Amino acid sequence: MKRESRRRPAQPGRGSLPLLLPAGAVFLGLFFLPMAGLFLESFRLYVPGSIGSSANAPLTFANYLELLTPAFAGFFFETLRISLFASLTGLLFAFPLAYWMTRSLSPRWRAIAVGFFVTLMFLSVLVRTYALELTFGAAGPLRPLLLSVGISPNGRGYIETLVGAGLLHYIVPMATLTLLGTIQNVDPRLVDAAQALGAPAWKAHLTITLPLCMRGLLAAFLFAFTFSISAFVIPMILGKGRVLFISNLVYNRFSEIADYPSGAAISIVLFAVALAIVYVMSHQVSKRWT
Amino acid sequence: MLHLTRRQTLRGAAAGAVTMLAGALGAPRRAAAATAITAVEWGGDVVNAMKQIEAKQDKVQVNWVLHQGGSGAILPKIKATWPQAEYDYVAGWEGSFSGMIKEDWLVPVTVATVPNLANIPQKIIVKNAKGEWMAVPRAVGGIYFAYRKDISPVEIKSIEDLFDPRLKGKICWPGPTQSMMLQLVALALHAGGNEHNMDPGWDLMKKLAQSGNIGRIAVTDTDFTTSLTSGETVGGFYSEPQLTAVAKSFPLVRLTKQEGLTTFLYQSGFAVFKNRPNLQPTLDFINFCISPEMSSLYAEVAGEAPLNVKAKTPDSLKHLAFTPEEFDKYVYVPDFNEVLTQQDAWTKRWENEIAPLL
Amino acid sequence: MGGRVLDDGFRLLALVLIGAIICFLLTPIIVTVVMAFDARAYLGPLPPPALSLRWFAQFFSDDYFLRGLSVSVQLAVLSVTISLCVGVTTAFAVERATFAGKEALISLFLSPLLVPPVVTGFALLLFLSHLGLINGFARLLCGHIIITVPYTIRATLAGLAGIDRSLTEAALILGATERRAFWDVTLPLARTSIVSGAIFAFAVSMDDVAVSIMLTDANTFTLPVALISSMRANFDLSIAAASVMLMLVTLALIVILEKFVGLNRVIGQGVFRS
Repeated sequence: MKRESRRRPAQPGRGSLPLLLPAGAVFLGLFFLPMAGLFLESFRLYVPGSIGSSANAPLTFANYLELLTPAFAGFFFETLRISLFASLTGLLFAFPLAYWMTRSLSPRWRAIAVGFFVTLMFLSVLVRTYALELTFGAAGPLRPLLLSVGISPNGRGYIETLVGAGLLHYIVPMATLTLLGTIQNVDPRLVDAAQALGAPAWKAHLTITLPLCMRGLLAAFLFAFTFSISAFVIPMILGKGRVLFISNLVYNRFSEIADYPSGAAISIVLFAVALAIVYVMSHQVSKRWT
Repeated sequence: MLHLTRRQTLRGAAAGAVTMLAGALGAPRRAAAATAITAVEWGGDVVNAMKQIEAKQDKVQVNWVLHQGGSGAILPKIKATWPQAEYDYVAGWEGSFSGMIKEDWLVPVTVATVPNLANIPQKIIVKNAKGEWMAVPRAVGGIYFAYRKDISPVEIKSIEDLFDPRLKGKICWPGPTQSMMLQLVALALHAGGNEHNMDPGWDLMKKLAQSGNIGRIAVTDTDFTTSLTSGETVGGFYSEPQLTAVAKSFPLVRLTKQEGLTTFLYQSGFAVFKNRPNLQPTLDFINFCISPEMSSLYAEVAGEAPLNVKAKTPDSLKHLAFTPEEFDKYVYVPDFNEVLTQQDAWTKRWENEIAPLL
Repeated sequence: MGGRVLDDGFRLLALVLIGAIICFLLTPIIVTVVMAFDARAYLGPLPPPALSLRWFAQFFSDDYFLRGLSVSVQLAVLSVTISLCVGVTTAFAVERATFAGKEALISLFLSPLLVPPVVTGFALLLFLSHLGLINGFARLLCGHIIITVPYTIRATLAGLAGIDRSLTEAALILGATERRAFWDVTLPLARTSIVSGAIFAFAVSMDDVAVSIMLTDANTFTLPVALISSMRANFDLSIAAASVMLMLVTLALIVILEKFVGLNRVIGQGVFRS
């Protein structure tokens, strides 16, 4: 029998470089270079009343200095806080859901459940947000119930929660589908063995299943988190114009008042902060669990 | 007996198919001389009105592009490709004209090139620094206070009424990028200031924000309409198209002639672009649009009052018809140049001082 | 003994949680369907007083929406295909390699998702215009590729990470080349994650508004952009009708896939089938 030609031992790293070229080209050409252009735009002087900066506008730090206000820090903090909360809650819901779908459902029901989630992902985010507003908002049928419990559907706390719920509605299907693949590849016999040795189920899962799924959990979290901090439609409708995410501020500058340098500055700041958070989280998880 | 060769049969069949196809396509065959122009218009009733106007002439065939969001959403696209221009005209209002004029994108218009301009009040025509006319106005709409009579606990008659505790969470107030921030000018006027002296207005705005009466800050046009039609809020301050949309289905009290509550007027019109190949056909079409009959048609369908003095104002727009005395009493015409140059600063001031209070 | 009670308690809690989540997820679907059949010309409070098919009729009668739909589907198919190719090769290359800064590189692959889509669209608009690329479809394709690629890369990475190295090594020991091991062992095991990445990418592309708004031109626009444009004063419920139809089409495709191929074969079940 003819041997498969060119069998060589797996050498990590070797031969990887050409495979990275397509990604390199795509990211460089379609993201990093445009962002560099934006970076440059953020240093240009904006003359109020015009559209963006003029071609030979002088360079200035003004667009960044403008952001050193407590209000802006407040917007930032609020975006990150609500996003973090929604992402973690999303994981908390998605993990049991994905686990149940993988282990407890028959293949037929599993297919149905997966079909349900996939269909859900194709529900336009604009429509589902309005649907949430109609159901849970200040004019919704739940209003009497909320008032009787003492929750004002118009209060800021409720609005923030509703924004989080809106984000959750997008996050949970996404995280569940992401975690399906991860949980599938975890050997169920490991948990069985632990239980046979006397560990209660919850402890077995905590010490065995969870750590083995860490990469998948991180991926799901990052999807959820990045989606949330960049969310635009959900805070716009459910936030009632009072809970503002960074993307709403940027939209004002790019699409309404035409102050492009300021919008660019805010975008660069958000990008830098978000990149730092993502890198630190990835690094920590890979260090402790891989 | 006639023998048809295969070639003849095929040729005949092809000719027949082509004829049938051409007929089936059904599009009205315009005269070959119809020029194609590209125009940016507002969606909904406005583009419907414009399509009806287009159907009544045959010199120009329009590729309708719709505004995607506010009037400012198209500006980055124009700026990115300039000096190559994609659109022959862009429909806009004072809020978008000023930026386009400053960028020197527009062709000046005169009575010579657009004869019907002679019947439009000259005061309203937007001019550049040199005094040239830079946009063709077609209709006027209002920006004013209004509320739904059927669900409002208070009959709003003055700014003080806005602070009534019964209106907790019931007011829909326009956000910093909406209505050219004229809502703040209205507050300033009430507090003794004006568009040049806005501090009294800002103080009043802070009090309104802290009162808890504002349920929603509308950040897009549809926000306002939806908030009112769904009953989330009962009233507020906004512009004509949205108020008309609400008034179609609910009893809306339009406070355009209410002592103590200022009314503003905006124009909707055409900004004609440089660097395009079909300038005169575009101007001719625009001239047709502002003729008396077409102005009336536009007013009926799109809900903005005609500006041509020879056109009839429909009854549905009575609230926008002012006698000279009424005009002086209820309408305030701000220095738009000041208002529009300050949009950036006012937006940032809103974000810093008002948004945290809501 | 106490562990058992806690176990049961947790189990009950988990089931209640799952039930609550499913109800929460179902609610907007039901409300959307109700909205799509709402006879009122505006968005009013629930429940609607009368039902009608007007929004579906309006959607199909307007050539504008149908053009947008055609462009949306073409863009989605093209951009997802390209994203998958780029994503799977990249993820495989990165997973195998070990070099300092690997985590940084992985984070970098997520970066287009770190800025709001309006920023991505705006930056791309300026950059492509500088390069002289003003064709709407080409611009839109670029935009859709860059917002979908992070999903395919990360999803595939997550899938590859869980695969036991020994499986691939076993294949190599038994005589397979690297490429054969990849196609026959690694890829099938990562299939679930790859497919989920593709699904996300497709959904993101079909639903995108913010990036698309910046990149459309006078002749090319997507369906979500068309739906948004028609809303000036009114919230046009055609968008609810369009959404319901899109979901129905997706459901139909899933049912067809299940009947002819078997959904579980497409999405994979991993190594350990229960």
